[in-house]
Amino acid sequence: MNFNFSFAIEIVPRVLEGIGNTVMIAIISFIGAAALGLFWELLRRSHATIRPVIQFVIDAIRSTPALVQIYFLFFVLPYYGLTLPALLVGSFGLSFYYSGYMSEVFKAGIDAVPAGQSEAAQSLGLSWADMIRFVILPQMLRNVAAPLGAYSISILKSTPLLAVISVPELLGSALDVASDTYRYAEPMFDVGVLFLAMSLVAVAGITQLERRLGLTAPSH
Amino acid sequence: MSFFAILRSIYEGFGITAAVATLGLFFAIPFAVIAGVLQHFATGPLRWIVTAIIEFWRSSSVIVLLYAFYYTLPAFGIFLSGITVGAMVLGFNIGGYGSQSVRAALQSLNKGQREAGLALGLSRFDVLRLIELPQAITAMFPTFINQAIQLIKGTTLVSLIALTDMTFRAKQISELGYNPVGIYSALALSYLILCYPVTIFGRKVERRFATRKAR
Amino acid sequence: MAVQMNSSSDNAAVTMEQLCKWYGSFQVLHNVDLSVAVGERIVVCGPSGSGKSTLVRCINQLETHEKGRLIVNGVELYKGMRGLAELRRDVGMVFQQFNLFPHLTVLDNCTLALVRARKLPRDQAEEIAMENLKKVRIPEQAHKFPTQLSGGQQQRVAIARALCMKPKLMLFDEPTSALDPEMIKEVLDVMTELARDGMTMICVTHEMGFAREVADRIIFMDSGRIIEQAAPSKFFKNPEHPRAQQFLGQMLH
Repeated sequence: MNFNFSFAIEIVPRVLEGIGNTVMIAIISFIGAAALGLFWELLRRSHATIRPVIQFVIDAIRSTPALVQIYFLFFVLPYYGLTLPALLVGSFGLSFYYSGYMSEVFKAGIDAVPAGQSEAAQSLGLSWADMIRFVILPQMLRNVAAPLGAYSISILKSTPLLAVISVPELLGSALDVASDTYRYAEPMFDVGVLFLAMSLVAVAGITQLERRLGLTAPSH
Repeated sequence: MSFFAILRSIYEGFGITAAVATLGLFFAIPFAVIAGVLQHFATGPLRWIVTAIIEFWRSSSVIVLLYAFYYTLPAFGIFLSGITVGAMVLGFNIGGYGSQSVRAALQSLNKGQREAGLALGLSRFDVLRLIELPQAITAMFPTFINQAIQLIKGTTLVSLIALTDMTFRAKQISELGYNPVGIYSALALSYLILCYPVTIFGRKVERRFATRKAR
Repeated sequence: MAVQMNSSSDNAAVTMEQLCKWYGSFQVLHNVDLSVAVGERIVVCGPSGSGKSTLVRCINQLETHEKGRLIVNGVELYKGMRGLAELRRDVGMVFQQFNLFPHLTVLDNCTLALVRARKLPRDQAEEIAMENLKKVRIPEQAHKFPTQLSGGQQQRVAIARALCMKPKLMLFDEPTSALDPEMIKEVLDVMTELARDGMTMICVTHEMGFAREVADRIIFMDSGRIIEQAAPSKFFKNPEHPRAQQFLGQMLH
């Protein structure tokens, strides 16, 4: 056996240097994906005529791999003279990829609010804005909380994709250690354990949060 | 290089993409069914072990797992081909998600189904095999299609462990000359051609199932 | 106190002695004694939550009892016993919610256990299935799926499915409670016919007309106890126990 446990432990601090970037990418991508996903869904609902177009866009986003979308942005944007930091380009790539899924989450969340709710709000004489704010939105948020939580973890687990465009997040710093030391097994093992731990902690944290907020509505 | 020439060149990687995806299903489906059924029935330490195995495959980051297995297994004296490692990691990851669909489908079955089977004098295993699983698997068909798409898209990752799939071909072509727009549009289009029909099919099936359930 | 009835243990289909069952700390069956003779038709009634469903479900061990003895078709049943599947083949059960297998046709619902449990060849199993579907008067629906049938038809299929196993004893757990009123009669007609053919039957039902016409004996349960049992003529005319009087008063108005 050619696996050196003490080396694996020794390099943990170096691998961990990427954790800040990992967290940052996850947060940016989650916010971006949610915002863009809500945008798609509102656009899809706005007009019957553009509905099929938006539907195609959403399906196309969901039918191409995240890695390909990231490569595309990373290599094509500079061609048009737009050079951004890789971390930002990669985060936007993840946002774009997950926005396709988020749009479906919002669709289900809005569909699940019974039509009677807006009718009741209107018959009470609430304004449109108040109806959205006090009646529809709270119920929609309750519906989407659980699936959004699940996607936040998927996004966290997808952040190492950015290593392929040389963003120094966790996997990136592990690959750096590997190329410095010519040993791949230990850094890759470390990053595997780290991601498993992070994802389990994130799952536990989100479950706690949902419970505390009373948002454990069944997912659809 | 014309756009069509790029497409054809990328297509040379289709064999590997298809092989990893197909082989991946051979890991994913049995794993999903066995792990899902075991998690549904097992109690005590066995349930704990099954849950741990499922969570390992489901909660890890696929790309990290792929690197970790590809580089770490040889250090433990286990030598597998890139295709096998790729198919196994992608397959077990998707299978981990699938196991949860199997378990959920079994749990959501009316318990009258089990009771009716038992009352007829079928063994517990026959009730599972002939009555519960067929219904559970039908119920999870839409989910299965979505997970198959995830698997196909996931195969892009094997380009990172030097398998010449479609994505790897695109990277190779990009070294021949600067044409990012052509190459990456063609690559995106290749996956779109592969997955879009499945996505549409999945959506149709999902809608059919939803109306059937509502009835 | 064991109630003496006109059946010796030799020709008993079911014998219960001091049967007890708990759900957690809640006792659903209190020292139930009951003997059902071969060929006897029993109707079990009582308010909801009285334990009548549980009692019937113990007979094929869909519920297990914790105390007392239960002998069905000459074999004593107990929790965790082996060979339960074989014994269940001789006890037919009809559920309130039909519980037909939605992924199988009507015919396959009927042949499934014949082929898989009784190991009959397919054509023989189908012959038996068709025979029983004729008996419940829906042979023409054999190749449809359960969801294509009305509730009354589904319940008749469920009866046919149970009959295919040639059971020595049939259990009915509120077979008409989930049916629309106009479908109740078609199911009761089939059950009445079955009774005329001499089938041993234990029926949990609120259909008092059926009970009066078909039952040899009415069992009245309340709070997990059998508090009265009598022939229908006596039970309906002058029930002894105040709870039974009250129950009948509600049922008949």
